[in-house]
Amino acid sequence: MFSVYSWVLLFQIHISQHSGRLFPDPSGDGGKWLDAHYDPVAGLYTFSSCVDLADLSGDGESRLVAGDLGCGASAMKLKVYRGTALMSESALLDLPSGLVAFFMDLHQPRIPAVAVASGPCIYVYKNLRPYFKFTLPGLEVNALEQDVWQQVREGQIDQLTLKEMLEGIRRKADVPLSVRSLHFLSLETNEMDQFIQLHKQQPIRRQTVITVIGTLKKSTADEDGVSCLVIGTESCDVYVLDPEAFIILSKMSLPSVPTLMDVTGQFDVEFRITVACRNGNIYILRRESDKPKYCIELSSHPVGLVRVAKNVVVGCTDESLQGFTQKGKKLWRTLVPAPITTMASMDLPTRGFQAVLVGLANCEVHLYRDKNLLSSIKTPDAVTSVCFGRYGREDGALIMTTRGGGLMVKILKRTATFDERDSAPGPPPAQSVRLNVPKKTKLYVDQTLRERENGTAMHRAFQMDLSRMRLAAAKAYVKALESSMAPVSSSAAEPLKVNAVVQGLGPSFKLTLNIQNTAAARPVLNLAVSFLYDEKLYRVRTPYLRVPLLVPGLVYPLQTFVECTSDKGVSDIIKVFVLREGRSAPLLTAHINMPVSEGLPLA
Amino acid sequence: MGLFDKLAAWLGLKKEVNVLCLGLDNSGKTTIINQLKPSNAQAQDIVPTIGFSIEKFKTSSLSFTVFDMSGQGRYRNLWEHYYKEGQAIIFVIDSADKLRMVVAKEELDTLLNHPDIKHRRIPILFFANKMDVRDALSSVKVSQLLCLENIKDKPWHICATNALKGEGLQEGVDWLQDQIKTMKT
Repeated sequence: MFSVYSWVLLFQIHISQHSGRLFPDPSGDGGKWLDAHYDPVAGLYTFSSCVDLADLSGDGESRLVAGDLGCGASAMKLKVYRGTALMSESALLDLPSGLVAFFMDLHQPRIPAVAVASGPCIYVYKNLRPYFKFTLPGLEVNALEQDVWQQVREGQIDQLTLKEMLEGIRRKADVPLSVRSLHFLSLETNEMDQFIQLHKQQPIRRQTVITVIGTLKKSTADEDGVSCLVIGTESCDVYVLDPEAFIILSKMSLPSVPTLMDVTGQFDVEFRITVACRNGNIYILRRESDKPKYCIELSSHPVGLVRVAKNVVVGCTDESLQGFTQKGKKLWRTLVPAPITTMASMDLPTRGFQAVLVGLANCEVHLYRDKNLLSSIKTPDAVTSVCFGRYGREDGALIMTTRGGGLMVKILKRTATFDERDSAPGPPPAQSVRLNVPKKTKLYVDQTLRERENGTAMHRAFQMDLSRMRLAAAKAYVKALESSMAPVSSSAAEPLKVNAVVQGLGPSFKLTLNIQNTAAARPVLNLAVSFLYDEKLYRVRTPYLRVPLLVPGLVYPLQTFVECTSDKGVSDIIKVFVLREGRSAPLLTAHINMPVSEGLPLA
Repeated sequence: MGLFDKLAAWLGLKKEVNVLCLGLDNSGKTTIINQLKPSNAQAQDIVPTIGFSIEKFKTSSLSFTVFDMSGQGRYRNLWEHYYKEGQAIIFVIDSADKLRMVVAKEELDTLLNHPDIKHRRIPILFFANKMDVRDALSSVKVSQLLCLENIKDKPWHICATNALKGEGLQEGVDWLQDQIKTMKT
């Protein structure tokens, strides 16, 4: 019995929890962020991979470094913001694919360099001045292609033959064609000659393109320790570069082209490179092998990759967010309300807080800890890059750029707290709360024991009592029928039904008797109605009523007035008898429970 | 001024006043206090304050004890423990740090809504510091950004200062001294 009750209780708790969730916080971020700066026309078009925060002057004030991809008329630029103002900008030669700030030496004061990856090169800036350019080694060139171009240079073949041969090579060869040959194949016939004249003297080179860039601490885990650059290329390779000499320290290959990357650890000790690739898989590279150690196969393509402590959080194109361990075991999956545009980690070591920021296409930025949504920020435009960290002198700064080129800076309030709110459907937390069930008493235990031992006897006793009760009820009913005490008569001669209605508040009541002949065809004649009541209490205006001929089926209302003569506020039963003329026994009886008279009797 | 006060002033005994010096980190609180001290007691190098430090200096009629609180985020929760003791507040703002003006406003609002401050008529002196920096905001702009016009129940005053040179400090301290004296009598 108890368990049923507790389930009902739990069900109610469940319902109330759900109804509470129907009305979320309307203000969105719940007053956790201060709006420090918003410039909707900053003209900064960039992605999370091209944004970094670093103390570029060594004065304890962090700057925002961004590789601006430009938009239409505006060209590609390297921009540095200090506070709310643009501090410097310099032109970039090619579209930036990634940007990182890193310490490349041990010189004092500790000023980080900025590395911008674009095309096959990395441009390193120190003190915001170009310092070094590193170009990836060229790839192997198809020997046949080289021969063909050699013949062109010697004038042995014409342009149409060249085109045919190159197309043949493209179809069959293992080593793909160089950019120059591919460009040649895309030309119209009249442009070919000029192109050949321009390029035939130069040697053929095949270059790859950098797709992602990251940093890896060399030997110490210090904040300002020297870092190696880690780059992923279109040729499905991952390189680790020495920061001082810019030589390739390590080369690892992947089954597909890397698109997103996260690096952790130290190069000299142990490191882990998590790479999301264009084939929809995530590969995890370790120090000791040049092949991926673990592989995570996703159901849809990844658009964001963030590491939180030892776990990896991946945002996918199917509007989902998934968590994996560092060995590739899936931990959880949750859905987000709109397509993900970008992701970044939010790490506040002073408060021991780590979470994931997810920019969504519906102009919101959501903050997730594991699969729980902690807060959401509404933005005036869809966000294309998100970056959280120390900006200026503020540790908890959130920097976002929008699709329209806007720049937004928000600062986390000192007093803001994020409470874990389980947004996942399923049993509510109240279900796992133990109810305060009282201990079983001795009486309860004794009774339970008795019930268990004498179950059969108890059941029999109960059944016997039940039968007796039914018998008593049947006897009483038969008696009532025999003495016509019931309001329904089932005798063959006069099948009648009567019901009574009392109207009024008192002391005068109107009594209406509805009499019906229930016989199929035969009318009933010679009936009368009389009342039996306490004469000290009531006075009935017409204590004897003659009943007219009763046509079968019709209801005959007979009315009379009853006056209550007592002012004591008591009530009694009035018995109504339906009689046949010439017979003393009533055909049927109705008992009317009179209501208490609420008015005073007239004097 | 009562007879006793006159006598005390004549004897060189000055009334003690506790003042809280608040503001964000790197706004120049310690530099300002250092400038107000007699020149032989001034420190040469100013380093970021840890926790808080107590400094004393005198004006023509009052002896100030200043609680120079650290403005770093992790120490700001110490401020409220000293609100009860303070008889006046000096709030220093870095007028060159436009980005963190909202943070200064947030801290000021928290201060003004604290139960130990809210119902007291405590004078607040604002120093819009670093006015020498090239693109610093004017003191009018600072008071607009901090919504100082909304402070109705407390006397307040803002002055633009340059704590490195000591410009503007004396004007503020004179105002504070007048306020404290009118408050007492």
